Amino acid sequence: MVRRLVQALVVAMLVACIAVPGMAADKVKINLWFAGNPKPMMDAVNNELVPDFKAANPDIDLEVTFVPWGDLSTKLATSFAGGVAPDVFMHGQAATAGFASSDQVEPLDGYIAAMPDAADFGVTLDAGVYFGKRYMMPIFGSGWLLMYRADQFKEVGLDPNKPPATWEELRDAAKKLTIWQGGRLVREGLDLPSTGVNPPQIWACLLWQNGGDFFNQDFTKCVFNSPEGVEALQFIVDLIHKDKTTDTSINMGQGNIPSIATGEVAMLFAVPGDCAAVKTYAPDVYKEVRIAPPLARKKQVALYAFNGFFMSKSSKHKPEAWRTMTYFSSPKAIETICGSLRSLPPRQSLANMSFIAEDANLKTYVKGMPSARGNPNIPQWVKIRDVLSRYIEKAMYGAMTPKEALDAAAKEGDEILKK
Amino acid sequence: MSASHSVSSYWKNRARRHTMLMGYLFVAPMALYVLIVHFIPIASSLYLSFTDYNILTAPKWVGVANYVKLLFRDDLFRRAMRNTAQYALEVLPLNIAISLALALLVNRATRGIVIFRTLFYLPVVTSIIAVSMIWLWLYEPRSGLINLILGKLGVGPVNWLGSPALALHSLVLMRVWRGVGWNMVIYLAGLQGIPQYLYEAAEIDGASGLGKFRYITWPMLKPVTYYIIVMGLISTFQTFGEVYAMTGGGPLDSTTTVAFLVYQRAFQYFEMGEASAVAFLLFGVILVLSLVNIRYFQTRLD
Repeated sequence: MVRRLVQALVVAMLVACIAVPGMAADKVKINLWFAGNPKPMMDAVNNELVPDFKAANPDIDLEVTFVPWGDLSTKLATSFAGGVAPDVFMHGQAATAGFASSDQVEPLDGYIAAMPDAADFGVTLDAGVYFGKRYMMPIFGSGWLLMYRADQFKEVGLDPNKPPATWEELRDAAKKLTIWQGGRLVREGLDLPSTGVNPPQIWACLLWQNGGDFFNQDFTKCVFNSPEGVEALQFIVDLIHKDKTTDTSINMGQGNIPSIATGEVAMLFAVPGDCAAVKTYAPDVYKEVRIAPPLARKKQVALYAFNGFFMSKSSKHKPEAWRTMTYFSSPKAIETICGSLRSLPPRQSLANMSFIAEDANLKTYVKGMPSARGNPNIPQWVKIRDVLSRYIEKAMYGAMTPKEALDAAAKEGDEILKK
Repeated sequence: MSASHSVSSYWKNRARRHTMLMGYLFVAPMALYVLIVHFIPIASSLYLSFTDYNILTAPKWVGVANYVKLLFRDDLFRRAMRNTAQYALEVLPLNIAISLALALLVNRATRGIVIFRTLFYLPVVTSIIAVSMIWLWLYEPRSGLINLILGKLGVGPVNWLGSPALALHSLVLMRVWRGVGWNMVIYLAGLQGIPQYLYEAAEIDGASGLGKFRYITWPMLKPVTYYIIVMGLISTFQTFGEVYAMTGGGPLDSTTTVAFLVYQRAFQYFEMGEASAVAFLLFGVILVLSLVNIRYFQTRLD
């Protein structure tokens, strides 16, 4: 009896080994990597989009992988080096130059030209341009705008319907909103991150608002240590050391609740995902949370960035890879993905999609898009940004003056550009 | 006679050869594993340390340029070396003192002592990332438990991880808390190996508790302490997880350790050549420190 059972199992396994490859042989396998692994997005993709895609594309065997943002660059680099890169992968627009300059990704201009609704993407298609060629299909975006608490504005006599529009107004509001009690900073008027990649993002907004820029026109020299850049960094440093509206402590909020919802912070620069976090984990507070339009000084500018899909140059099934990209950048897919992440859709036709129409804060993000500006698209950007992070941090901690810090960063940046 | 001798030697040699062959066969899987998983990657890494390599393009031979840059022109590397040495020098003595004290405390046949031993050992088996997340909350400047308690006592708030002067010490505290359980177990084993008659003889001679510790326990535990120092040096010089999870090397590079620098250069900037050179310099430092320890302790133990 046992012997027969074993024989039957062996036969079944043999049949399975022979039959499965045979069944899959007429299907083209496409590996698709999503960046990030928030549960709402994974659920939306796995439960809604993938079954829909498979039903519409029975000849494609789609395998979707969700890679956390922190591991994405490393995993992609090693998979490219090992010759097992995914056919299609998601990344931020700032990664375009790195992949394009090392010839890892396929230019999409020919494919995009044949798209009947490419115009719907407007200027967001330019987010993934490198030396005149388009490499990225944008899927979702975000921007850095000022988030504030309307109830706390009222409490200190500020009009919550007139948020700060200039640097001076921002400083005045921050000073009024700050609460110190016996040497303890109980409420930060304006929280400014002092470590990691965020300080250069905030400073970049101020730099551009002040008429400055990161590099000269042909990207051969750093010019961010211009008087405009120094003034922008001085503004940040003064908020910490002179106006004392914030400090350099690492503010984490409480659990999943962001610090603006716990009342520890009255204003901060936030992305749409932060709205989603407050709405999810502190829904009572969310009605008091507002988003201000981009600040202005010489110009009204804010940092916006889009993430999207790239096609690997090494993909053996480019037509199928493009069909996959077409589906996941369709209005339906973008609406599903953006809805799950509460992010900004790159398609103009989705600017009033339901979750945005219902949320005044997200509408402000959409309205701010004409003032959007992206990070420089050069292969050396990540390294130069990290150099800037280190020196901006030094200025924020008072270890260097803003001019010394930016001059030193520019010197190191120039060496990286030469390399 | 001679023929029978040669026949017997033939069979003996054949048996020996067979035994040797079997021995090699048994060793082969592990030897292959060590060769493939350890030696080849180490040799490759040594080669890469003399190249400029970004994963995507072929390595370019640059000789000792990476080492020269790191040793003479790289402020961050020197800072990382200093931070790592300071970290090790703070962690090790604290760890040894506390783990020995705990081992002495739990080295008794009291009822329920196993519970205490387990509790002290528990942090060791907890993932470093989980521990780091818990300590991030404890250290949170405004709502963290430590500052809340200090606040009740009228102290603080202390900017544990946000202050360049304090951040490394804060990581040391966490590392000591996590590591004492492991060394406590090793000391406990050492304590239980000390012959009881030594203590009985000392008691007859009228030795005090402190005297017994000074003249019996501590000298008898020297081999264990030597082991703990060598292993502790190796592990503290490789500190990465808590830095990655809690401070990202900041603020102002005050918590950037050499292992974290290897990660940054290799997996953030894809400078594999430079990262390999950092790794080999770290290996050199650990090797020298271990050799010094071995010589010093061997002399003392002899």
